[in-house]
Amino acid sequence: MIKVQKADFDVASLYQALCDNNQTGAVAMFVGRVRDFGDKSNQTDSNKEETLFELEHYPGMTEHNLQQIVDEAHSRWDLHEVQVVHRVGELKVQDQIVFVGVSSSHRAEAFQACDFVMDYLKSRAAFWKKETQSGKSQWVCAKESDEKSLERWSN
Amino acid sequence: MHKLDVVFFASLRESLGKEKVTIELDKVTSIEEIKQAVASLLDNPDPLFEEGIQASIDYNFARDSSKVDPESVKEVAFFPPVTGG
Repeated sequence: MIKVQKADFDVASLYQALCDNNQTGAVAMFVGRVRDFGDKSNQTDSNKEETLFELEHYPGMTEHNLQQIVDEAHSRWDLHEVQVVHRVGELKVQDQIVFVGVSSSHRAEAFQACDFVMDYLKSRAAFWKKETQSGKSQWVCAKESDEKSLERWSN
Repeated sequence: MHKLDVVFFASLRESLGKEKVTIELDKVTSIEEIKQAVASLLDNPDPLFEEGIQASIDYNFARDSSKVDPESVKEVAFFPPVTGG
């Protein structure tokens, strides 16, 4: 199941859905949250303002990218279910932004596939983040380390 | 001639001041050539040529050398590196 949505998600219900199989012996889940990575060194209590994020996506392409990543995970490991939920629209610090859950018979497959899906989601799914702080907006730059992380899966 | 929609996202959309242009193609054309055709329609095309700008053909990531067949392709997009997750 792949969902791109504005609404928040409930981890407990997603976990329940991943467990709906008598062969499931392992469930690995990852939740990404919005963290405040702005420079706070020049801020005092009086001028501290909330950081806001706007998540943009390319409707159609994003879902297509995520489906390809999930299909690839299924072809690499023996998995029962893979669920991906990614939020778009306005988000603030401490909001949940992404969920990846994988169920399988054994833990090794679940851990690896969850890691794989998250790695590819970072660099191969059409999402863009814009950060707004103190009235100033800027697009978040892609990290070279995210692209490099994909090399782990190239063999 | 076939019409092809070319769409832009995120910082590129903002710096070009446009979400979409439509170009006409009469033969198989590379992404690099499509970029040139799009640039000729824009007042300030420089952001399109910035380092790291990526492309897609019908939702699949593409390279500058990737070919676009106007008979089958519906949409090409240009955008900066993705930053989801």
